[in-house]
Amino acid sequence: MADASLQGKLIEFKGASLAVMTASIRDTDAVRLADALHMMLGGMPDFFAGEPAILDFAQLGNAPERVDWTALLSLLRRYQLQPVGVRNLAEHLHDGARRANLAVLGPDSPAAERPVAPPPAPAPAPAPVAETPAPAPAATAEPAPAPTLVVDRPLRSGQQVYAKGGDLVLLAGMSPGSEIIADGSIHCYGPLRGRALAGARGDTSARIFSTNFGPELVSIAGVYRTFDRGIPQAVAGRGAQVRLTGSDNLHTLEITPLQHD
Amino acid sequence: MARVIVVTSGKGGVGKTTTSASISSGLALRGFKTAVIDFDVGLRNLDLIMGCERRVVYDLINVVNGEANLHQALIKDKHCENLFVLPASQTRDKDALTEEGVEKVLKELEHMGFDYVVCDSPAGIERGAVMALTFADEAIIVTNPEVSSVRDSDRILGILQSKSRRAIEGREAVKEHLLVTRYAPKRVEDGEMLSYKDVQELLRIPLIGVIPESDDVLQASNQGTPAIHLKDSDVATAYLDVVARFLDEDRPLRFVAYEKPGLLKRLFGGK
Repeated sequence: MADASLQGKLIEFKGASLAVMTASIRDTDAVRLADALHMMLGGMPDFFAGEPAILDFAQLGNAPERVDWTALLSLLRRYQLQPVGVRNLAEHLHDGARRANLAVLGPDSPAAERPVAPPPAPAPAPAPVAETPAPAPAATAEPAPAPTLVVDRPLRSGQQVYAKGGDLVLLAGMSPGSEIIADGSIHCYGPLRGRALAGARGDTSARIFSTNFGPELVSIAGVYRTFDRGIPQAVAGRGAQVRLTGSDNLHTLEITPLQHD
Repeated sequence: MARVIVVTSGKGGVGKTTTSASISSGLALRGFKTAVIDFDVGLRNLDLIMGCERRVVYDLINVVNGEANLHQALIKDKHCENLFVLPASQTRDKDALTEEGVEKVLKELEHMGFDYVVCDSPAGIERGAVMALTFADEAIIVTNPEVSSVRDSDRILGILQSKSRRAIEGREAVKEHLLVTRYAPKRVEDGEMLSYKDVQELLRIPLIGVIPESDDVLQASNQGTPAIHLKDSDVATAYLDVVARFLDEDRPLRFVAYEKPGLLKRLFGGK
């Protein structure tokens, strides 16, 4: 709190979780990789625009005797990818990776888990897989389902809750000016009056349920809707659900009354 | 144990200082030893409302900084035996308030045998307001029946839930009371103003009272007399009811229904 002590602090350590790309590498031969990348990206030199990446070797069949890190890294850097660490790498290759200034992360990425803030988050999923233009479709292990986050008190204007990796249940509703975000679905018992965003990491099957519908904005997997002209009569102040219908690129938000007694 | 009550709202001009003055006076009238602290450092008003502006020698910041002790800074109220005012500093800004300093002042008031400490919060959600609510046991949320005031009250309730000591230490939550002020039943009837029921439904905290809009409040503050002392006025009656409810007494709500003025009243004046 005291400002004076802040000035004295030249370095400060804070927990942070950040989304990084994983590049799942199935071949360590720089020449073959270069060909594959060229095919995939058409030689666009700045494709990754300096994005940090973790190199994942889980799908590497048999680990080679040694890896030419210099060649591999310079290849990836040519596309402006910034490799920062490796994971799932065979033990005998660790030293080489370290010499190449790469962080060696554990298989379940404890390094990524440790800095995550207080709420015990289960192993954070390795970056938005679907959006990753990685050399190969990165199919890392499914993250364990996150526990549902339950909020007992009314959520007030200016407050924000994020249910990382799972569902969010509000037991006392939310006020205008508050915001709830869930990677899964949102269940709101009581007034839903702020901004509600479900499926925040792209889950199109997520839904929003409320017993008293009246939000400022709803969004599912990035498809959003505001209510400039008021909430539709059929659902205003009543039980309602929001979900995505249609497929692929033709998603539409559908808001329907909830049938309940 | 001294009970710390914060009077707060987020929005300015809704009646925080009027309420702080009246509620602290009301508690003192009931025989409780009460202190009222102005946290609006730099924009102090409470001393004016309490009519003690000419007796200010030392202030809250002097005490926080150890330049004066509490006995020197506390001003005895001229209306009530048990009431003491701790004014804010007018020449400093809110950065002069520290959490340790405020805690020290509150601890000392407790040692001096105070039953209640009323903290008059500044408007806004910055340092002064946060300092005023940090050590609160109970909060009186002053709200006018209009949407922007309700929104700001909602915001301050959120801050109370996240920044008060009770919240941070995971103790029993701060007890919240809703006080609707500047209430005009006629305008509610005409649909120009939110009803107190609307406000309560939006904020979802227990209602402790409704204070009617009245010219008496302006008059009282000009005189430096807390509104609760205005004999036979609606405002004073409403504040006395609020104090009674605060002390767990049952009082029906008054001044919330609009009564059409009778013929005589219309002919011969009255408002």
